[in-house]
Amino acid sequence: MTTTIRRRERPSVAASRDGGRRGLLSRLRQDWWIYLFLLPTVLGYGAYTVYPLLASWWFAFLDWPGFATAGTFVGVENFERLIGDDLFWNAFWNSIVFLVFAVPLRVGLALVLALVLNRKKTPFKGFFRTLFFLPVVTTGAIVGVVFTLLLDASGPVSLALVWSGLIDSPANFAANAGTSLYAGIAVWVWKWLGITLIYWLAALQTIPQVVHEAAMIDGAGAWAEFRHVTMPLLVPFLVIITLIDTVAAFNVFDLMQTLTGGGPSFSSEVIEIFIFRTAFQATVPQLGYASAAAVLFGLLTMAFAIAQALGMRWARGRTGAA
Amino acid sequence: MRRHQRILGSRPGAGSAGRPSLGRRQFIGGAGAAALAAALAGCTGGGQMSRESGGSSGALQWWDQFRPLTKMLQDDLFAPYMKAHPGVTIERRQMDVPDLGQALQVGRRSNQMPDVHSLAGLGTSAAALVSEGWFQPIGKLADFQGSPVGEFVYDGIHRFDGEIYSIPPFSGRWHEAVPWFNTALLKQAGVDPEEEPGTWDQLRDVARRLTKGTDDGVYGIVVPSKDAEYLQILVNRLAMTAGAPGGIDWATGAYAYDAQQYADAVEFLVALQTDKVVHPASPSMGARDARARWAAGQAAVYLWGAWFIGGLRVDEPEAVERGVGTWHIPCPEKSRNFVYSPPQPGTFWVSSQSKRAQEAAELMLQMTTKEFQTKLAAAMDQPPALAEVVEEAEVHPAYRQCVVNFQDDVRIAPVPEVATPAVWQVLAEMRDVHPNLGDIVQSVLTGSTSDVAGELRRYNDAMSAERERAIKAVREEKGVEVDTKAWVFANWDRKADYDQKAYAER
Repeated sequence: MTTTIRRRERPSVAASRDGGRRGLLSRLRQDWWIYLFLLPTVLGYGAYTVYPLLASWWFAFLDWPGFATAGTFVGVENFERLIGDDLFWNAFWNSIVFLVFAVPLRVGLALVLALVLNRKKTPFKGFFRTLFFLPVVTTGAIVGVVFTLLLDASGPVSLALVWSGLIDSPANFAANAGTSLYAGIAVWVWKWLGITLIYWLAALQTIPQVVHEAAMIDGAGAWAEFRHVTMPLLVPFLVIITLIDTVAAFNVFDLMQTLTGGGPSFSSEVIEIFIFRTAFQATVPQLGYASAAAVLFGLLTMAFAIAQALGMRWARGRTGAA
Repeated sequence: MRRHQRILGSRPGAGSAGRPSLGRRQFIGGAGAAALAAALAGCTGGGQMSRESGGSSGALQWWDQFRPLTKMLQDDLFAPYMKAHPGVTIERRQMDVPDLGQALQVGRRSNQMPDVHSLAGLGTSAAALVSEGWFQPIGKLADFQGSPVGEFVYDGIHRFDGEIYSIPPFSGRWHEAVPWFNTALLKQAGVDPEEEPGTWDQLRDVARRLTKGTDDGVYGIVVPSKDAEYLQILVNRLAMTAGAPGGIDWATGAYAYDAQQYADAVEFLVALQTDKVVHPASPSMGARDARARWAAGQAAVYLWGAWFIGGLRVDEPEAVERGVGTWHIPCPEKSRNFVYSPPQPGTFWVSSQSKRAQEAAELMLQMTTKEFQTKLAAAMDQPPALAEVVEEAEVHPAYRQCVVNFQDDVRIAPVPEVATPAVWQVLAEMRDVHPNLGDIVQSVLTGSTSDVAGELRRYNDAMSAERERAIKAVREEKGVEVDTKAWVFANWDRKADYDQKAYAER
């Protein structure tokens, strides 16, 4: 085995040394088959990711009624209209509220469940893991439709709450302007909890048992061990998991469209539904305007993320200085 | 290549003796290159796949949303035509309205339009689409003007620049707020179907009796308020029964959403809700969901269009067997007002990309015959253009009654585009205003607002401002001569149809 590895390493090391000196054309001619195998991915990524991304930027500067085959350039007019569009800002803030509530809830609940399911003493661990993972493999649109029935005023959730005396009269959680967005958040967290749980379980299993044993020998209780041993080791995973869940929280179209349709009265309209409505459901579909909404939302989100990162760096700096 | 073979351990010259050797990697690489070449060869310069559009690849493609017509179109139109024309194949796709609208938009941009399609889900005027080059004229391919529906062909709706583009196989004399009732539930509650609730108060009373006199979990009425468009249409129709001319007052050309009749119509729905006679899950229902709940016996009355019974027969036939009946749309008072609908627009249009326009025109001409119209009536969707055929068609008695009621209740309204062709440019320029009538009603019914009059006034003002902006834009940017007078029909008689003669005398 050692011999084989050494034999295979040699050419690649040599190639990497030569790589800098050789020209692109020479490398293409020499290793053409590598690039041939890369080509499908490059083409697919280019056609289905890079092109739509760049195209949406270009479309954002067009006045393009959906019935026309092409749009006309209008500069930043779409962005100016968006800034004055209350429904855009309503959708923007709904998306932010969704993010702010849903991501910590999903990450936190999944961590708690993972800690429980990671314990040796927990019975039926495999069963519970499967149970929590089942909603993940269910189609979002189907979940939305089913929960529309479960959460309406004649559904089991409302009836159970009335029966238990928690509410006076039947409530329609997905069709009430005050609760529709939060109903969407709850269903989304329920649906995706299982996958975050798997991430956390994988993360927990990277912590060596000896670390726990050492903490135990030092007299640490369960809370102290979690706080001072487990959690610090999980922080890198927390960052990744939060990032993954944050991205997922911006992709809730199927669930929200089937659960609430963005209503009632736009109370649960997230940015994706706003874009869809503008692009496809308007009397005259406005492709340029919808693209501008997507671009502006992306820019604003990016600005938030940068501000947050700078804020964290500043806070860390101050803490370090203190 | 030899170097790679060595590194990966395959033996040089391992191929069969006497034939060129082909290693695994060579094979995969070659196959990949061939597949790539094939894919590239299949693309045109414009980035579209080489499949020719408009069904010229073989079958005549036909897209529409008419679910109740599925069997009838196949058996009574397409199959006989294909039999008479052995070289022709017709493929029909039925889609829900929103799906159809999206499919058409995408199909248009990718040059993959069907040969014939309806306009459902596009939400814009046919004139705007004609101007964008969506369709081709068919008037010279078949004698539509001399057909039985020739008198229903209007400039600005079916005919543009003297060319007929489409015809109305359906009647314009219909509305979407027909009260359909479950006869079994009425019997259970001791309500006589013959005691027609002619007024809003009487309908409230019937709904109360139905809720009280039936099993738990059964309600007098269902109002699918998740669907803002349904609410917009319903309130518009109810306001007409209260005396409103519609969203526009034809005497002045001004928007009329702030009229008292609209506020009254919204308050009527609120009153039904306050009475607790509306199915409590209504806020989570779309129009089709509500029909399913009605069919399941959870609500006794549902206000929807003439196609209700045809759709039931396809999806929930047992509900038709159980018993279904209909009443006139109720009015606030015993004196009745009319409901106004525009002339029926063209239903099917031939794509400008189609190479089968002749066949499409022949099929559409067949739709105008009395025989086909009778079969169209039997499908119980929208009433056929020749409404008199319903009398002898094989239809459910409730459907026949519904069409008879339309003759009493509905009058044909003016259409500004017919009188002033430039109006379509203004309509195409106008942007949606939100919250619109449907959004406002939804807000009221879900408790988000109670200021009905204020919301309606704001909407009315916003619509007026948007129309002014659009008029200004098309005048300045396109040099179109149009103003708000195009919406004025001073000779409109609210008791009569606004027909071709009325346009001429305007």
